[in-house]
Amino acid sequence: MLSRVADSIYWMARYVERAENFSRLLLSTQDLLLDAGVDGVDEAQFWQPILATTGDDEAYHALHQRVTGDDVTAFLALRADNPNSILNCIRAARENARTVRDQISNDIWECLNGLRLFVESDQGQEMHRTQSARFYERVLSRSYEFQGIADSTTPRGDSWHFLRLGTCLERADKMSRLLDTCSGLSLEMSPHRDARPLRWAALLRSCSARHSFQAYHGKPDPKKIIDYLLLDEALPRSVASCVAEVHSALVGLCGAGLGDKMSEPVRHAGRLHADLVYTTVEEVLEVGLHEFIDDLQTRLNQIGDSIFKTFVLNIEDLPELEVSEAESSSGLPLGAYHTDVNEEAQQQQQQQ
Amino acid sequence: MSSLFNDYQPGNFFDEVYSADMAGRPHYKALLGSIGSLTPSDYSALQKTVDAAFLRQGVTFTVYGDNKGTERIFPFDLMPRVIPQREWETVEAGLIQRITALNLFLDDIYHGQKILTDGVLPAELVLSASHYRPEFRGIKVPHGIYIHICGTDLVRDDKGDYYVLEDNGRCPSGASYMMENRNAMKRAFPEMLHSLPVRPVDEYGEMLRETLAHLAPPAVIDPVIVVLTPGIYNSAYFEHCYLAKQMGVPIVEGRDLIVRNDRVFMRTTKGLEQVHVIYRRIDDDFLDPLVFREDSLLGVPGIINAYRKGHVALANSIGTGVADDKAVYALVPKMIKYYLDQDPILPNVPTHLGIEPKECEYILENLENLVVKAVNESGGYGMLMGPSSTKEERSEFTRRIKANPRNYVAQPVLQLSRHPVFVDDHFEGRHVDLRPYVLYGDRVRVVPGGLTRVALKKGSLVVNSSQGGGSKDTWVLWEDRLDMPAETPTVP
Repeated sequence: MLSRVADSIYWMARYVERAENFSRLLLSTQDLLLDAGVDGVDEAQFWQPILATTGDDEAYHALHQRVTGDDVTAFLALRADNPNSILNCIRAARENARTVRDQISNDIWECLNGLRLFVESDQGQEMHRTQSARFYERVLSRSYEFQGIADSTTPRGDSWHFLRLGTCLERADKMSRLLDTCSGLSLEMSPHRDARPLRWAALLRSCSARHSFQAYHGKPDPKKIIDYLLLDEALPRSVASCVAEVHSALVGLCGAGLGDKMSEPVRHAGRLHADLVYTTVEEVLEVGLHEFIDDLQTRLNQIGDSIFKTFVLNIEDLPELEVSEAESSSGLPLGAYHTDVNEEAQQQQQQQ
Repeated sequence: MSSLFNDYQPGNFFDEVYSADMAGRPHYKALLGSIGSLTPSDYSALQKTVDAAFLRQGVTFTVYGDNKGTERIFPFDLMPRVIPQREWETVEAGLIQRITALNLFLDDIYHGQKILTDGVLPAELVLSASHYRPEFRGIKVPHGIYIHICGTDLVRDDKGDYYVLEDNGRCPSGASYMMENRNAMKRAFPEMLHSLPVRPVDEYGEMLRETLAHLAPPAVIDPVIVVLTPGIYNSAYFEHCYLAKQMGVPIVEGRDLIVRNDRVFMRTTKGLEQVHVIYRRIDDDFLDPLVFREDSLLGVPGIINAYRKGHVALANSIGTGVADDKAVYALVPKMIKYYLDQDPILPNVPTHLGIEPKECEYILENLENLVVKAVNESGGYGMLMGPSSTKEERSEFTRRIKANPRNYVAQPVLQLSRHPVFVDDHFEGRHVDLRPYVLYGDRVRVVPGGLTRVALKKGSLVVNSSQGGGSKDTWVLWEDRLDMPAETPTVP
């Protein structure tokens, strides 16, 4: 498979997952605010963690002084100048799909093309303004549709592995950031009978895990929630599950290998997976949730970097060839489409 | 009987469907019955369904001058254009004759230049064509073929005679729309396609693959073929992707390729893989920064040397644009005579050359009655439509022609044939042309039909998509279904 194709499929999946996560996050925060009631609630306290989760704190504050629900939702949903907005994630997913149209099923392509047409349409913008919940639900259901179509139409080979890598790494990243927003909260349940651990409940909802958690563990207990979302492989969105799948996709791509033969991405993913499997929630809390997640994030990034180096940049395993003066490739960066478009290249493409 | 065509006016033109006395031409009979029986709202509904499907499937082209990269569907009119088999046979023979002569011409001017030394064509005109590549002279290309894929533009005049308007021997586009239009028609009018002996076009992908495979270096048994695209911002990106998918070959950008040891490789997740044939949809200028434009971000450094050494084949070859020069176009009948000793089956539109002093004088005196074209422009740009021009435009062209007469040619205004096109709730006549696709591999093949382009603006003679043009499906119709050859066996 072409390296650029692999990278584009990987990023296509990542961007879809990102748009899905942001939609669910905005939806659950709106619901949480409705539960909390309006009286005496500091709105910013609910929206600030979202910016931390998406990693857009700085970009947001460059545009706005105060944190308000309207500004945060507008910023994360439809702002064209926020490269991480739902709008831009969907555009990027669709552009990446477009660059690999010949490699993916028509159904995947039409699903993402349809979603982009919707979020860019007047109807879509109007829906977000007047019934934002419906808008987010639409994005969510399209993303599920994408997962379903991808699952039932993608041959189990390189395409599938790169698709899953993108989805699962993005999911693990967002899950861990979400958990981190709760790392400052008390782990003790209030003794008061009516006390509602809103933030923890919202966390479960943001991960589509509220009902399954209740069925398993009953009453929301912070420690159990952390265990569930971080370490429990029974939950398909848990960080441990995602990393397990990343590991098996990488083994599918490179083979397991032993010793010297083991590739770098497999080594990183396998080691992280083992750590998650053999760690208890008590040990996590001993290190500190925030510290643990910090390290987790570093290691997830390390896996992402090594995937890029191994499959996209890698030209080490060349046949032994005389290197000519024409060694260099063209001036464009390798890999997938991202929102920062090289305008000169764009112009040249149009001149053709 | 009430019919959608009751109020149709063929007007004072050659109408593809109706003769001057409003009699439907025989090869349109079945079509007029079926389509005529629809109500305007049925027809509109069908049209809307097809448009929505094109948008959803992303069968689009990119509109420039708009940094959002807006994509539009190529407007499509449901009523097909029909060409009877017997008429098509003449067109086909004319196209084959023409591409044969053009390839002999290119091989000649990139080697011995006999046609120039024999004094048949003026050397200063041919060698001053801006797409002539002297650095390519003496290079052997696979099988001596330069133009493998040609999209010739044909028009019909007020008598219905066919003329060649342009040859397009560089990177002609539109074949994907030809195929997608047919697919749309299969959804919209399945019964009609079922009952009429319409020749299929969906073999184009396979034919193109065979044409390309023929160019591979001789020792290679199972050649790796790729389509080289400028990228997703190119207006024809959809087509590049579509053709790659039809052929089952990868679509690559310049940055996916790398040259080592005068061989071209693509970067894959498992290392480098050698490429043998490249269907390139990038102009010569941008193909190799080491040879042509240094600032090209789209090309592949070293690819030209790999081609010169015969380790990779390019389609079309380098420097074919010399035949697209509109002044050189005027000389094609002489080439046919010189190389094949035949008269052209399809005539040229009479063309006045700015470089000939007498003809230049004629052009300047008759600007109001002529179409003036810059020799290297395409897509309907750089043109003066004499009869509809303003005084300012004419004086601007006078200045330009005087400054550089080599750069201009002029032709009489042809009253292009018209075809009914659905407008709002009824049919009106609009001018059309025809772009058939010719493939030159181990033999020359022409896809039956091609892309019929329509000037959708009332009265307009310009059919280019960039200038408000649309398209129609084109049906080459066997006279009798029994004559139709059995399906060409498909290669597994």
